[in-house]
Amino acid sequence: MTTSKPNWIFCVAASVTIAVAFSGRLAGQTAAVGSSLGSSGSGTEWSVQVERIDPGQLDLAHSFQVAIYENLLDELNKTKQFKQVLREGDSKASDLPNLLILKTTVVKYTRGSETQRAVTTVSGATKLTVQSQLLTRDGKIVLDRTVQGNVRFFGSNLRATHNLARNIAKVIKQSAWPGSERLARNSPANSDRGRHTSPAF
Amino acid sequence: MNRLRVVRNGQCRFFVRRVLIGVCALWLSASVAALARGAAPALKANQPFSIRATHVVGLPNTKNNCKGTLSAQDNVLRFRQSGKAVAQVDIASVRKVSLGEESMQIGGLPMKIGKAVAPFGGGRVVSLFAHKKYDTLTLEYIDSDGGVHGAIFQVTKGQGELVRNELVARGASSSSGEDQATKQSTSEVTHDDK
Repeated sequence: MTTSKPNWIFCVAASVTIAVAFSGRLAGQTAAVGSSLGSSGSGTEWSVQVERIDPGQLDLAHSFQVAIYENLLDELNKTKQFKQVLREGDSKASDLPNLLILKTTVVKYTRGSETQRAVTTVSGATKLTVQSQLLTRDGKIVLDRTVQGNVRFFGSNLRATHNLARNIAKVIKQSAWPGSERLARNSPANSDRGRHTSPAF
Repeated sequence: MNRLRVVRNGQCRFFVRRVLIGVCALWLSASVAALARGAAPALKANQPFSIRATHVVGLPNTKNNCKGTLSAQDNVLRFRQSGKAVAQVDIASVRKVSLGEESMQIGGLPMKIGKAVAPFGGGRVVSLFAHKKYDTLTLEYIDSDGGVHGAIFQVTKGQGELVRNELVARGASSSSGEDQATKQSTSEVTHDDK
């Protein structure tokens, strides 16, 4: 009776030790995989410079243009896809070797009304459609997508700009472009951990 | 009869004289008021101003959609929350100030819930009247690195123009064609040059 109790305690202690040791090892492996994707991904960490919103031929309010621009900077920072997210005109951009430029042109805009949305539910949506392009310094297009941002039920008209910026950031994150996480995961270069791939453009 | 005519002529002259004096007094007061109005901005130009505003987006280290006070003093535009300056912009670096007009539903989340649970579509009727117009003040300015920043504030209707004029008087540049864009009717506008 007296010998069984220490045995039981020893078993529990041993199992806890093994569990802790294995979980630490697994976490270490996950971290290693994550860091390898981040560092070798496409070989280089890219920065992005966001240009001001081009309203095209549309009479888009200045507040909407500014709101898209500012929300876009916020959302791109949140994705952690880029080493640095710079504003248009930032002098630091000239020192960065791997820089992409994000151009956003408004293609379609439907001005809605919050009151109309609240009264009718089905009408009064504010809709924004933009063409987003990621370009290199020399003007080569890396990514070209048309993205929408709407506010249909609740929220002010400016909320459409927030939704749009979030969608643009999501598209950039999920698309396969040289330097993106997705391409980094799928590229054969990742199977060879020691190899450091050069940028494709 | 002649006596009556003389009395009437005397009254008429007296009346004309009073009218003339009245017109002169009116003209004098109007010109003084005009002079005072013309001189007022010059007097206010260097005086600090302060208004309640909601920061929508753009200022660094400031939460979106937070209420505070927008003030200008010594050529610096400050946004304060509970007395503390959370962000400031050098007015000389502001290169575009524009004014817009928006309408929003009032009451916030409690009102939304109330409208949703109101029977027989009563909430929709409430929505028809529970909205408020306000001015949006949009600034575009340059930071020390040359980067372009934007900031949007909501202010009480009518105050936006005062702030814009104040900023322009202190050295910011203004854009004039923005108001039309924000006041356009609800219509779909497309641009197909892809």
